[in-house]
Amino acid sequence: MSDNTAKEQNSIPTSKVERSAKFVKTGFKIGGNYIKHYSKKLFNPEMDKSELNEDNATDIYQSLSELKGSALKVAQMLSMDKNLLPQAYVDKFTQSQYNAPPLSGPLIVQTFKKYFGKEPGQIYDKFNIRSTNAASIGQVHQAELKGKKLAIKIQYPGVGDSISSDLKLIKPFAFRMLGMSEKELNIYMMEVEERLLEETDYELEVRRSIEFSEACANLNNVVFPKYYPELSSKRIITMDWLQGKHLREFLATNPSQELRDQIGQALWDFYNFQQHELRAVHADPHPGNFMITPDGKLGVIDFGCIKVMPEDFYYPFFALTSTNLFESKEDTIKAFRKLEMILPNDTPAQIEFYYTMFKQMIGLFAKPYITNEFDFGEKAFFDELFGFGEKVSKMPEFKQARGVKHFIYVNRTNFGLYNILHELKAKVKTDTYKPHVEAVGT
Amino acid sequence: MVTLTRKSNIMATTESIQKAYIDFVLTEGTQPKSVYVFAKQNEMAEEEFYKFFGSFDAVEQSVWADLTHKTLAEIRKQEIWPQYSAREKALSFFYSFFELLKSNRSFAVYSIKKQRGFGTPKLLEPTKELFESFAEGILNEGIETSELSDRKFFSKRYKDALWVQFGFVLNFWINDDSAGFEKTDEAIEKGVNVTFDLFQRSPIDNLFEYGKFLAKNGGLKEKMGF
Repeated sequence: MSDNTAKEQNSIPTSKVERSAKFVKTGFKIGGNYIKHYSKKLFNPEMDKSELNEDNATDIYQSLSELKGSALKVAQMLSMDKNLLPQAYVDKFTQSQYNAPPLSGPLIVQTFKKYFGKEPGQIYDKFNIRSTNAASIGQVHQAELKGKKLAIKIQYPGVGDSISSDLKLIKPFAFRMLGMSEKELNIYMMEVEERLLEETDYELEVRRSIEFSEACANLNNVVFPKYYPELSSKRIITMDWLQGKHLREFLATNPSQELRDQIGQALWDFYNFQQHELRAVHADPHPGNFMITPDGKLGVIDFGCIKVMPEDFYYPFFALTSTNLFESKEDTIKAFRKLEMILPNDTPAQIEFYYTMFKQMIGLFAKPYITNEFDFGEKAFFDELFGFGEKVSKMPEFKQARGVKHFIYVNRTNFGLYNILHELKAKVKTDTYKPHVEAVGT
Repeated sequence: MVTLTRKSNIMATTESIQKAYIDFVLTEGTQPKSVYVFAKQNEMAEEEFYKFFGSFDAVEQSVWADLTHKTLAEIRKQEIWPQYSAREKALSFFYSFFELLKSNRSFAVYSIKKQRGFGTPKLLEPTKELFESFAEGILNEGIETSELSDRKFFSKRYKDALWVQFGFVLNFWINDDSAGFEKTDEAIEKGVNVTFDLFQRSPIDNLFEYGKFLAKNGGLKEKMGF
């Protein structure tokens, strides 16, 4: 009866049982997709997995989009890791970055009453009760105060509560989709849970947004909305409304190379300034968190997810990318040991294997840093990157946990950044904010 | 002037009896032994009490009813009220009611938990009347604007469905231990929306219409070859 046209999200499964049921259903469907795939393959051995992946992605997305909240967030996260996921998943998951069903007007009024003792109409001169955007764990409303246009972000109730249970539900999925080992997945899930829970704390987000926008105020062509802590609370954030286009809309206007380079440069500077000067980074580089303003600047609108890089990670890691460390095999292995990429119990053969693979991997990752300028439009680099990712994902040696947990968000951030720059096809000066390496060897 | 003072006097006494009563049951965990004891404790004549209430149960009823009155007055005062659909008006009532109830949570828990059995507890009867007349109002509005589907027999029962929903949320809230009763907010959002989804025109209406059409245009069995 109902075919696979985009399902409207007009119901949210309530209880954990219901949510589980949703996942089980999807599980069956995926099983079915595999059967379909292998039976077709019997007759057509040439067939590749992309049709199968497409089927799976559609089913998973449909299931996730009905769950909302943290499940949606995980979908968004997975969609960032293009290096980890086949293209078909990515396309479906990117949809989740744009749409989710809205909260009712009275619930919004209720949230305001709870935290401010007033209705939104008594706080702002104008308040649009219909939301304009979804923000995965919340939604955005337009308001006006003293002639200023404001963006009000309101969080869905109960998001914090459902995060842990959602992650438990999603585990078997991630397990299947990412082909990770249980141990690796647990490290990943714990780190993710920590970040997600932070993201539900809007008071923290406001504090960080102000800190970061002040620290980054001097960067060229990067703009931040002003935040209003007195009009914000645990579940509500008030900030200036940034006029502009999302990345996809911006690209649809066929911007000039010059403009694309300018935005790309702003992105590069924004991320590398944070990584190397602040040692804490906006770790959510999905396209929905950026706006491109009419005067060609990069607007950054979401500081929910911040990854702090401890020194014992920062120095060994960037020593690998930005020094001549690779010339000495011994020192390289020492650094790999510090980052738990080579483990104490590894045999000499294993050490040799991981040494070669990780050296290659980091060499690839560090490519933009080596020259003073890098063209992210270059397809060859990304083909090599994805090709390498694909190769690694098929190696049994990589089924077990390798590398400290900090890699998760740092990789996500940097690959996310590379991806956006690739979509922009921007040429970027990569020597603006260089990694600090002085402390190495001490 | 005179009437005003007298009126405020009466109000004060109604309230003071309610307050004293709530204080008593929450401290003692049970109703006072008799009106005599209660009146004596609060330094008033027994007959003074009967001027306002016939029994202790009547006091409890009035606490609930007052909360409902207050909620209704509050939500209707909202600037946005006239713009709300029937669905949103119902949601608004639920949210505001439970927000107000928060400040009387101990009493509400005491009062509800001592109720046994099914159906509407006696102490909520006046509340039910208020609720139903409010619900009927917004539901009729919704039917007039065709936000809701007008179904024979059933549309008269919509208000009962809302009352059941109210009872459900009330029980949910009594047992809710989430911070800020956020789970109750979720229960309201989801529950009331589902209920209103059922009030709306749905595929079932279409199926019913189709069935009616086939029945009226007769010869169904013959045409299908039976």
